[in-house]
Amino acid sequence: MLHESPLAAVERALKVSPERRLELIEEVDADVDALQEELERRGYSPTAARRAALNRLLPVPETLAALEARHAPWLGQWLRAAGWASRIERWGALATGILATLSLLAAIWSRDSSEATTPLACSLVVVVALLAANWFRAAAGLWIEGSLPPERRRLLWARQLGLIVTAISLGGLGASWEGYTALGAPDASFGAAWTAMHRSVFFAALGFGAALLGLLGWLALVPRLITDETAEGRITTLLVRSHPFRSQQTQTGRH
Amino acid sequence: MQITLSKRINELLVLAVLEQGPAHGYQIAMSVEERTGGIFSFQHGTLYPILHRLEADGQLRGEWSGDGRRRKTYRITTAGQATLRKGAQDLEQQFAVLLELLGGAHAA
Repeated sequence: MLHESPLAAVERALKVSPERRLELIEEVDADVDALQEELERRGYSPTAARRAALNRLLPVPETLAALEARHAPWLGQWLRAAGWASRIERWGALATGILATLSLLAAIWSRDSSEATTPLACSLVVVVALLAANWFRAAAGLWIEGSLPPERRRLLWARQLGLIVTAISLGGLGASWEGYTALGAPDASFGAAWTAMHRSVFFAALGFGAALLGLLGWLALVPRLITDETAEGRITTLLVRSHPFRSQQTQTGRH
Repeated sequence: MQITLSKRINELLVLAVLEQGPAHGYQIAMSVEERTGGIFSFQHGTLYPILHRLEADGQLRGEWSGDGRRRKTYRITTAGQATLRKGAQDLEQQFAVLLELLGGAHAA
């Protein structure tokens, strides 16, 4: 029966950035193998040498906690020290809610859209707030928690993409409606048509602007995401390379 | 910052080993165990937080080598050498006081 490398459990438990995690795993992996070889040269059996090497060098939960404290992102460390880390997500949600409500009220009161398109304007404002909240969740994962697991990364990107498409659709729909209203009324005065055109441009600008900001915001995260994905790929390679026979011996030996 | 005595001793042990020359993490662990006759030893990866703390403080420098499989080698810095000398002096004084106290207790 094949067992996973003992390093895989360490890797899963370490809550630091993938790049830092890779370095730690690489260091421990190379040291464990080198120590095992050294002990075998001194007459230990391979099983005993592996067990002794792992006992000395494989981090236990207390050691992992010390390593996390050392290598966690500085922002996360600062927030944890201040006791705010657990509250940051709630604060983010609260700030998004307040922002969305205020923007909604502003959109309604500004009367910058006709009655027919007011619901579209309000929806667009909510989409903008959701785009900001989604981006904040991704950024908090990277720079406060230290990493964004692949499945969460995919989910947040899918949401961001969905919100970008929604913003474009709402902006386009609102602009088209206002444009149609302006051009479609044969008895409309020049002033009324001008106002409707103004609303149409406002809608288009709001929708496309929100989509552009959402996209640019995500693009700002991409370099870090690429670094993380590269490191995760190398971690996977390293763990696959770990000899299953050695792992099996270790697991047997540690009981 | 107040630092516990055992933590301080562990750091000084690492620095003392590295003053003999650059070494990998496992070599430091082995060397400490051998040179202290097993009185001091690093178990369960406790060596790594110490190494990384000293590295972050500039007491030692870690360097990666190897193209495929990388390995990390540590070497002591000038600041680390100064810390080692100062730490050894401090420990000598602290243990002198401690031994005097214990000696007194033994005599009593």
